[in-house]
Amino acid sequence: MSKIILSIILGSAFGFALYYAGAANRKNIRAMLRLEDLTLMKTILYGIGFASVLIGSSTLLGILDTAHFSIKSMNAGVLIGGAIFGIGFGLIGSCPGTSVASLPYANKVKTLGIVAGGLFGAFLFSLTYGNWVASGVFQALNLGKLTIFKISPKFPALFVMGAEGLLLLGLGFIIISYFLPTKFKL
Amino acid sequence: MKKNHWLLGGTLLGIVFFLAVFLIKPVGVSTQFSVLSGKIHTAIAADVTAPVPGKPKEFTSTNAYYAKSKGKLVGNMQNLVNYDFIFVLSIPLGAYAASKLTGRKEQAITAMSKGSKLSQFALGFLGGAVILYGARLADGCTSGHMMAGISQGSFSGFVFAAAVFATAIPTAILAKKYLAGGK
Repeated sequence: MSKIILSIILGSAFGFALYYAGAANRKNIRAMLRLEDLTLMKTILYGIGFASVLIGSSTLLGILDTAHFSIKSMNAGVLIGGAIFGIGFGLIGSCPGTSVASLPYANKVKTLGIVAGGLFGAFLFSLTYGNWVASGVFQALNLGKLTIFKISPKFPALFVMGAEGLLLLGLGFIIISYFLPTKFKL
Repeated sequence: MKKNHWLLGGTLLGIVFFLAVFLIKPVGVSTQFSVLSGKIHTAIAADVTAPVPGKPKEFTSTNAYYAKSKGKLVGNMQNLVNYDFIFVLSIPLGAYAASKLTGRKEQAITAMSKGSKLSQFALGFLGGAVILYGARLADGCTSGHMMAGISQGSFSGFVFAAAVFATAIPTAILAKKYLAGGK
């Protein structure tokens, strides 16, 4: 039961942050993807960087339960799936999280279309998953749950450096986000 | 938009990503689209899944995706009151509260979409279907792979983000040029 209360609190906080950051606005996402206004890119880079700093430093302090880490596997499906995802993302300027977030206030017809289409797309994937397995896509480029830094003995890592690496990476993201111009001329 | 708004927005997002990892697990959204569509699927065709005798949390299925990881997805379909599903259902609550509390008018999405209601729905449906198909193939979306993944230093998160932007940027530019509803 306490997990359900936690899910309501964290889910609401995520929705709040997405809205506040301007990420749950299709106009902002499209402006970012057309390279017309990179404000949202700055926000997201900074958010990821800040989270990395917090995760890295709390791991160093030993106050973060590293069993909470959840790393997704690397395989060719990530590359192909990401490329397919990008086509839809560029077309409508919405992603799964922001489509759900914008349900209460955005254009209802289009938002409901996105969520209904999302359910259909997910269903279509469930039906065709066996074909993808047979194609060998999940075995190609299969690097497992690879991380950049050794944050946990559970996962293979590119570098022996641990949480301090994640902390530095986060700082790097923050510096990039600070200097990234919101608008630039091509 | 206020000058340093990106800093505040990013800080808030970063704190939420961190708190999620600190308290329970990284954020994730797209799996729940598989759970809900599977819930509808199995409600119509009940014989697609079956419990494993003697193992209350395990399920078999004629569908290879549902059968994955000892039928974990089926378990979540059968009991939607679970952490991951309620997390996603709560996202619009927070977004709604933010839209009311902050009163930042420029955030409101006005009726910017052109075209009839049907064409708006159809474009949304098509886009949503492509996004979720890709997200399930990649095993995550911009939340789980990109934001939560990269902030943990996950290699696949970086690859996902690179693949997404490689197609999203040209698509968004072309959509503005050729698609009436894309503006």
